[in-house]
Amino acid sequence: MMWRLISDHAFCFRSWNDEFVVYNSLSGDTHLLGLAAAQILLELQQAPSDAITLATSLAPLLQAEIGEEFSLQIEHLLADLDKLALIEHS
Amino acid sequence: MTSPPLVIQALRQPGALTSLSLADWDLLLRQARQANLLARLHALLDERGLIVQIPPQPREHLEWSHASAERHTQAVHWEVTMIRKALAKTGAPIILLKGAAYVMANLPSARGRLFSDIDIMVPKGSLNEVEAALMLHGWAATHHDAYDQRYYRTWMHELPPMRHIKRSTVIDVHHAILPETAYVHPDPEKLRAAARTLDGYDGLKVFAPVDMVLHSAAHLFHDGELEHGLRDLVDIDSLLRHFSDTPSFWPGLVERAKELELTRPLFYALRYAALILHTPVPSDAMEAAQAGCPNRPTLALMDGLFTRALMPPHPSCSDWLTDTARRMLFVRANWLRMPPLLLARHLFHKAFISPKPEE
Amino acid sequence: MNVSSLTPPELGSLLKQAGIFLQTGSFITHLQTSIPSVAEGIGLLYADYPLAEQGGFADFHVSLAPPRDLRRWFKPQVLFLSDGDAPFKPLPLDQAFPMLEWGLNWCVSSHANRYLIIHAAVVEKGGHAAILPAPPGSGKSTLCAALVHRGWRLLSDELTLVRIGDGKIIPLPRPVSLKNQSIDIIRRYEPDAIISRKVSDTITGTVAHMKPPTDSVTRAAETAQAAWVIFPKYQAGEAARLEVLPQSRAFMRVADNAFNYSLLGTKGFETMANLIDASRCYDFTYSVLDEAIETFDALKPPAPSM
Repeated sequence: MMWRLISDHAFCFRSWNDEFVVYNSLSGDTHLLGLAAAQILLELQQAPSDAITLATSLAPLLQAEIGEEFSLQIEHLLADLDKLALIEHS
Repeated sequence: MTSPPLVIQALRQPGALTSLSLADWDLLLRQARQANLLARLHALLDERGLIVQIPPQPREHLEWSHASAERHTQAVHWEVTMIRKALAKTGAPIILLKGAAYVMANLPSARGRLFSDIDIMVPKGSLNEVEAALMLHGWAATHHDAYDQRYYRTWMHELPPMRHIKRSTVIDVHHAILPETAYVHPDPEKLRAAARTLDGYDGLKVFAPVDMVLHSAAHLFHDGELEHGLRDLVDIDSLLRHFSDTPSFWPGLVERAKELELTRPLFYALRYAALILHTPVPSDAMEAAQAGCPNRPTLALMDGLFTRALMPPHPSCSDWLTDTARRMLFVRANWLRMPPLLLARHLFHKAFISPKPEE
Repeated sequence: MNVSSLTPPELGSLLKQAGIFLQTGSFITHLQTSIPSVAEGIGLLYADYPLAEQGGFADFHVSLAPPRDLRRWFKPQVLFLSDGDAPFKPLPLDQAFPMLEWGLNWCVSSHANRYLIIHAAVVEKGGHAAILPAPPGSGKSTLCAALVHRGWRLLSDELTLVRIGDGKIIPLPRPVSLKNQSIDIIRRYEPDAIISRKVSDTITGTVAHMKPPTDSVTRAAETAQAAWVIFPKYQAGEAARLEVLPQSRAFMRVADNAFNYSLLGTKGFETMANLIDASRCYDFTYSVLDEAIETFDALKPPAPSM
């Protein structure tokens, strides 16, 4: 399943240490995101992607081992980001 | 005759505002705020590049209201996106009405126009399905009172307003532009057939230009909500000025009014827009619109009522007849929408049931 | 001309008739009322405030008056009117002065959208401002009242105005609202403080207002730069303690305490983010005011950003 941002220009980011504050200018909502969730958004900002590809590219950054568990975590995060109306199926 | 209130003068000639004194600005801002037209004033000045020439104190207030208007536009886009998402599976054709239509079609009437509800029109046969889909996506009925529910469902042209549980936004779902009980019934199918698809939004439509004007006129001159009367007249003014550029617009307008049984509201709309806001209406259009002119005593009465009720609701613009005028027009508006027996029942209920705490 | 240049009878009759044009920070309020307790409160707490040109431009047109219904005969009430409209339900007449203060806060917080408006006290020293956002009951106003009697300048007790664009804090010094026990705490802490008479049984309990130091009022045009965001919490018996708060968390908590963060959209986000960037953020627990002042005096301003 491919995911993309709901819009290319909708987001403003600020990061402090390992946390990100993201403003969605379409919904007007502000979200506090951890490193992993924010990295997914930043990856999707480059191009639409799927959970497996995202897991592969994020694992080194998050110092995680690529495997079923990590992919599952990424899928959970994607579902959460979808619920927050930050991303959608492409 | 005394000169019209400042806000009317400002709407007629925004360019003249650069020479206003501070004391006049003080009064103008108050009139405009009460009429919900402060952000509109900002838009009119901004379009003309005149904001920088306004003295800092009043400019500050204009900027404040502009900030609300900007955010409002953003919120309307988002809300429409959410509504579209919620209704996608029903397949019902959705027509955006009034404010939401102006914003999404990017019409000049949208600039600085603040409103609270999103109005949509769907076919009567899709009402249940649309209501169910909205409820599934977080909208809930706002009128729990059984009488109110029946009032809307039996006699009105809309579902009871629904509010989104998380966003607190309100949607009004209509199936016609006037209540079933009104004495004229502009055919929703005709309106739907002429509606235009919004650029970049498959499945979302807005009324054709002539229908937009006629709906706005029907809304203002059939409805009892005259607190926004001036704002609604400003809509009509802005739509007329904007669509004037299309050569077929004016001839088509009166023809369409006849087809939709809306010649009377159109007549009033053109008359009071020209009279109060100096909207340029071509003389042949005004002449053709005479088809909707009431008899002479009625016209004299209506002139007296509307020229008062369409003023901004600020003490500086009222005379002793204003309240009476608004009350009479409320009764008249109800009378236009409902047969007499129903009217008596509705007013009785309104008068004797105390307001609910939430309102 | 200041309010103090009018005698009490002059002030009372002006308020009753044409009304006064009161300058608070960058706002001018046209205030009209015939209620004696309001005139008394104005004379006492607003003595140092300048009066703007009589009959000139005003940002807000405000009056306090008894509602026009039968209740006035057996249970006198007061309405706050903003240009004739009543944004709130009436309150008992003896709450007229606190109602004026709440109403003036409402005027600013629901209109002045050129500022990010945070529900927070804000004080300044050496050009650096400390913002104290906090829900009611956290001791924010008590701490603020103490600080402004120990060398900090009052910028505002309730509304922190952050100017969109340059992020400067715009002062709006007005009387400091004290609730319940904090009224007597401040009376003991600063016997010279001028405090209005107590009004009991309001929504927030017993309230009184403290006159801001004259210096804060006369310097109301001097802006300041945000340096600290501090969430105070009064906790009996605890030693004064600052704990670093991650800036991302501070962002969310301050946004939660802002009146118009959401209304300002992207500008609200940018203004808030720059404010947080420029500030050191802390949770602050205290019980003894002197210890709290000591902690504040020892605060180091953040290094100037690049």
